[in-house]
Amino acid sequence: MVAPLVEFRSVVKRFDDFVAVEDVNFTIDAGEFVAIMGPSGCGKTTTLRMLAGLEAPSEGNILMDGRVMNDVPAHERDTPLVWQSLALFPFLTARENVEFGLQMRGVGAAECRRRALEWLDRMEISEFAERDIASLSGGQKQRVALARSLVIEPRILLLDEPLSALDANLVIRMQSVLTRLQRELGITFVYVTHSQSEAFAMADRVVIMSRGHISQIGSPKDIYRAPANRFVAEFVGRNNIIAGAVTKTAAKTVTIEGSLGSFTVQTGQHDAPRKGDVARFVVAADLAQISVKKPKSANVIPCSLISEEFIGSIVTLFLEAEDGSELKVQLQERELSKVDLKSATTTYLSWADEHGHYIGVD
Amino acid sequence: MRTFSIFKQTFRLPIVLWQSLFFIGPLCFTVAMSFFIVRNYRMQEDFVMKNWAKMLGRDYFWDSYFLTWGLAGIGTIVTMTVAFPAAYTLAFKVSETVRRWAIFMLIIPFFTSYLVRIFSWYVILAESGVINAGLSYLGLGPFVMLNTKFGTVVGYMTLTLPLVIILQTFALSNVDRSLVEAAFNLGCRPFRTIYRVILPMARTGLIIAAVFCFILSFGDFVSPYYLGGSKPPTLPILIVDTVKSGQQWPRAAVVAVVMMVTLFVVAFAGIMAAYRRRVG
Ligand SMILES: Nc1ncnc2c1ncn2[C@@H]1O[C@H](COP(=O)(O)OP(=O)(O)OP(=O)(O)O)[C@@H](O)[C@H]1O
Ligand SMILES: [Mg+2]
Repeated sequence: MVAPLVEFRSVVKRFDDFVAVEDVNFTIDAGEFVAIMGPSGCGKTTTLRMLAGLEAPSEGNILMDGRVMNDVPAHERDTPLVWQSLALFPFLTARENVEFGLQMRGVGAAECRRRALEWLDRMEISEFAERDIASLSGGQKQRVALARSLVIEPRILLLDEPLSALDANLVIRMQSVLTRLQRELGITFVYVTHSQSEAFAMADRVVIMSRGHISQIGSPKDIYRAPANRFVAEFVGRNNIIAGAVTKTAAKTVTIEGSLGSFTVQTGQHDAPRKGDVARFVVAADLAQISVKKPKSANVIPCSLISEEFIGSIVTLFLEAEDGSELKVQLQERELSKVDLKSATTTYLSWADEHGHYIGVD
Repeated sequence: MRTFSIFKQTFRLPIVLWQSLFFIGPLCFTVAMSFFIVRNYRMQEDFVMKNWAKMLGRDYFWDSYFLTWGLAGIGTIVTMTVAFPAAYTLAFKVSETVRRWAIFMLIIPFFTSYLVRIFSWYVILAESGVINAGLSYLGLGPFVMLNTKFGTVVGYMTLTLPLVIILQTFALSNVDRSLVEAAFNLGCRPFRTIYRVILPMARTGLIIAAVFCFILSFGDFVSPYYLGGSKPPTLPILIVDTVKSGQQWPRAAVVAVVMMVTLFVVAFAGIMAAYRRRVG
């Protein structure tokens, strides 16, 4: 069996007493685009820095190609990092910045120059090659930073929120530049980001972190459709999270009774809870339905319409249930016109049995 | 806008006053004095080129000039080199607390008189002093260290080393860590980052430290006199000698003006180099 390109084995990172990364395990295959996502301070940068050798794990091992990397210093690893702050050398021109990594690898001056210019050209910024870094725009600097890392033809590229300093239009353009590059070159990307849309749009797999732990690893669709726990469900948003006490357990199903009513959901891969535990399940906003007539389904919550929000052709309806909790339904605008919400005082939110997704007790 | 500019002027005024009172005034007087003449051991106002011709025409003046350059230059190179590992350690390798204490310790020498510190070198450098006593156990020496150029440079370093370490530490502390890490990340060995990243980033501060070091050494009287043995004389010693031998204040003023012009040029060149945008 081929060893994965990268493997984290029970990696712990402590700063003094503070645990920044706790028992992290995952693997990355060659050619994958992996996004690491999570709230601020959850340990994303620390994880990336350990992979680059800029921080040593306190416990556990990081392997590349099956080889333990813990004692390999940063400058002997081929793990270029695109820094959030870019960290371009201000005393060098754009071209000299790109040449830096090649010079460190003993490439001759003429060859350095040729390859640096080739990459600047590829990034469509060759006209700025001889400019000072300070005189470049944000997007141009970003491209220099990418070229500087890619020119050494690494097998893996680490990116720490590379687009967070750019405006929305540029972000979308750079996203397509990045995805295209990743496909063309077959380089493994490990991409740290705050932004769900970024992670979901580009990544093959998403790692969701919370307080130094990994909360879930999966394809964007897994994360979105089947959040593994309450943290992921809340982090991803666009979900209705319904809580209650467990009143009945059966093979693969559980009945949860809370202030919104009593509902039965499948437990999936989760352990069966005990009676009396507080458990939760989610109903994705775009899988929930809304009607003015009470539907026949067993999964119904009566509520009243509070407000609506249009984004493009998608409408999000914000509803309030009788117990005061807020619920959301997302639907296409043309579907909305079929429901006569304006005249109704009570509307009904409902979902098909298979769309209730159990997320366990906590 | 007008009130604002008046406001600014009031803040500038003290600096202008201060500079004219303590710097430009005496400077003008020194320049003027270099054209005066001395009759019967008394200085008289005049405008003659005689002092300039006398001083600049003498070999001993130029010998002294280049000796002072050489000693201050060597002193600066040695001090900058010796200070760098210390400053590097303070800036990159120790905790904030250690750094603060170290800088405090480096300021302490300035509390004691420079002259006193110079005399303590006598005990150390003398033929029967501490170093030679130590070396004699190894069957070496004794070496003559007092009244040599070596002694002068040691004296210069007594004056400049603590200041240079402090200035270098500040210069290095301002180097963005992520740039050093970025260099590692691109395959740069730790030692190589010093001249590929740290020196270019700290250039301004380091050049200023060197300029300070040179200026202090170039104008120092105490070290070349007491540790260097005053012969051959450096420019500051030449000034004193010239004054002593027949009240030749105007000729001493010539030396002083030459020194000032030299230091002005060095400082200007240094600052230009320090703030030049990029290394060629
Ligand atoms: N050198 C350090 N010394 C002490 N604590 C640190 C150090 N570096 C990081 N931490 C702590 O470790 C935790 C994780 O930091 P990290 O930079 O990995 O977060 P992050 O997920 O990248 O956050 P962000 O999204 O804000 O960049 C934080 O609480 C941070 O304060
Ligand atoms: Mg971060």
